[in-house]
Amino acid sequence: MNEIKKIVKDYILEEFLPGEDPAGLADETPLVSGGILDSMATIKMAAFLEKKYGVQIEAHEMNTKNFNTIASLASLVQAKLGGK
Amino acid sequence: MDFSYSDEQKLLRDEIVRFAQQELNEGIAQRDREQIFAPELWLKCGEMKLPGLPVPEEYGGGGLDALSTAIALEAFGYGCHDGGLAFSLAAHLLACVIPIWKFGSEEQKHKYLPGLCNGKIIAVNAMSEPDSGSDAFAMRTRAVATPDGLGFRINGTKTFSSNGPVADLAVTFALTDPEKGYHGGVTTFLVEKGTPGFRSSKKWDKMGLRTSPIGELVYEDVYVPASQVLGKVGAGSTQFTHSMDWERACLVACHVGTMERLLEKAIRQARTRKQFGQTIGKFQAVAHRIADMKISLEAARLLIYKAAWGLERSRMVAIDAAIAKVFGSEALVQTALNTVQIFGGYGFMTEYEVERALRDAIGSTIYSGTSEMQRNIIARWLGL
Repeated sequence: MNEIKKIVKDYILEEFLPGEDPAGLADETPLVSGGILDSMATIKMAAFLEKKYGVQIEAHEMNTKNFNTIASLASLVQAKLGGK
Repeated sequence: MDFSYSDEQKLLRDEIVRFAQQELNEGIAQRDREQIFAPELWLKCGEMKLPGLPVPEEYGGGGLDALSTAIALEAFGYGCHDGGLAFSLAAHLLACVIPIWKFGSEEQKHKYLPGLCNGKIIAVNAMSEPDSGSDAFAMRTRAVATPDGLGFRINGTKTFSSNGPVADLAVTFALTDPEKGYHGGVTTFLVEKGTPGFRSSKKWDKMGLRTSPIGELVYEDVYVPASQVLGKVGAGSTQFTHSMDWERACLVACHVGTMERLLEKAIRQARTRKQFGQTIGKFQAVAHRIADMKISLEAARLLIYKAAWGLERSRMVAIDAAIAKVFGSEALVQTALNTVQIFGGYGFMTEYEVERALRDAIGSTIYSGTSEMQRNIIARWLGL
C-alpha cells in the first residue's frame, strides 16, 4: 500500500506539480477539491494507474471519493489488485 | 500496427462506396439549399447497418472492430456527397450509440440498440448548452432525484444538438451533484421523444452540413425513471469523455474519404482544364497545391487509423484522438479550399459541388471540440 502511495505521489509531483515542494503533498492532501486534479488530469491519472497496475477503472469509479487523495487512489488500486 | 486492408475490409469499403454513390447522392444540391434531412436515406443507411457499425451483432450492429469502423466511415465519406447526412450518421453512431453500447444495462441495450443500428431510432447527444460549449462541464442542466428515489426530474436547455429536431432519443447529460461537478457529479439519461416536458425547440440555420438538422432541446421538469440512467449515477463525465475519443478518432475518418474524393476531382480538373496553351496541372503552383493535398490525405489517414486502432486498447488514446481530430479537420478545410481554388470561378459556383464541400468542412474545426481545445488536450498529455 505504501509503495502504491509513493508511486502515485511521484506521478502527481512529476505530472501536475512540477517544481513544487514534495513535502507539501501529503497522503490526505485534497487533489480534486484542491484543484490539482481537474478533468484532464483525472483522465491522465486513471490512464497511468491502468497501465502501471494492469487494472481497469470504471466510469463510475472516477469520482471524488476515489480520486480526492493519494490515500484513496492507493486504496482503489489496492482493492482492484486484491480482487484479481 | 499493420494497417494494410484485410480482404474483409476491402469488401466492406467497396460495398459502402458503391451503396453511397448509388443511393445517397441524388438531389443533394436541392436538399442542401432547402436544408432537408432525408429520413428515407437514413433508413437505407440503416439497412446497411451503418448507424451501428461496431455494435455486436447480437444487438443488431455490424460487429466491426474500431479500425474497421474507421475504414467504413472513410468509405462513407468518399461515396456520400451529402456531408450533412454523413455528419448526422457519424454523430448518432459515435456520440450516442457508442455510449449506450459501452455503458448501458442489458435491458437498455436490447431496448434501444437494434433500432439505433437499423435506422428506426435516431439519437442526439445532448451536451452543449447556451453558456457551456468547450467548457462542457460548466453545464446548468440539473437532474434532481425524486423523493421516492425512483426517478429524476430534469430541467435545462441544450443547444447545437445535432439531429435534435428529428431525434427519437436524447443521450442527455445533466448535473446530479453540482458540488462534485466533473468528478462524479454528472449523470447520463436516456430521454425519449414524447416524454412530457421534453421538446425540440429552435432549429438553427447553418452555413454548411445543411442537411443535418441541428437545434435546441428543452427540458421542463422532465420525469425519467431511474431505469433511464445510463450506467450508474455520476458516471456521465467519463462516459462523455470515452464517446468523444471515439468521435474524434472516427468522425474524421469521414473527412479522409471526403478529402480523397476532392483530391480526385482536383486532379481531374488539373489534367483537363487548359490555360495559356497547357493543362493547369503543368503549372507548379497548381501541381504543388495538389501534392500538398495528397500529403495531408495520407498523413490524416495514418493518424486516424492509429487513433482508431488504440480505441479498444488504452485510455491513453485520448491524445491520439485529439491529434487525429485537429489534423484531420484542419486538413479537410485546407483541402476544400485548395479544391475551390483549383476550380477557379467554377469552384465558386454551386453547380460544381466543391463550394458545398468547403461550407461543409468549415464546421469540422469547431464541432467535437475546437482545434484550440484539441491542442490544449495534446499539451496536457505532454505534461504542459
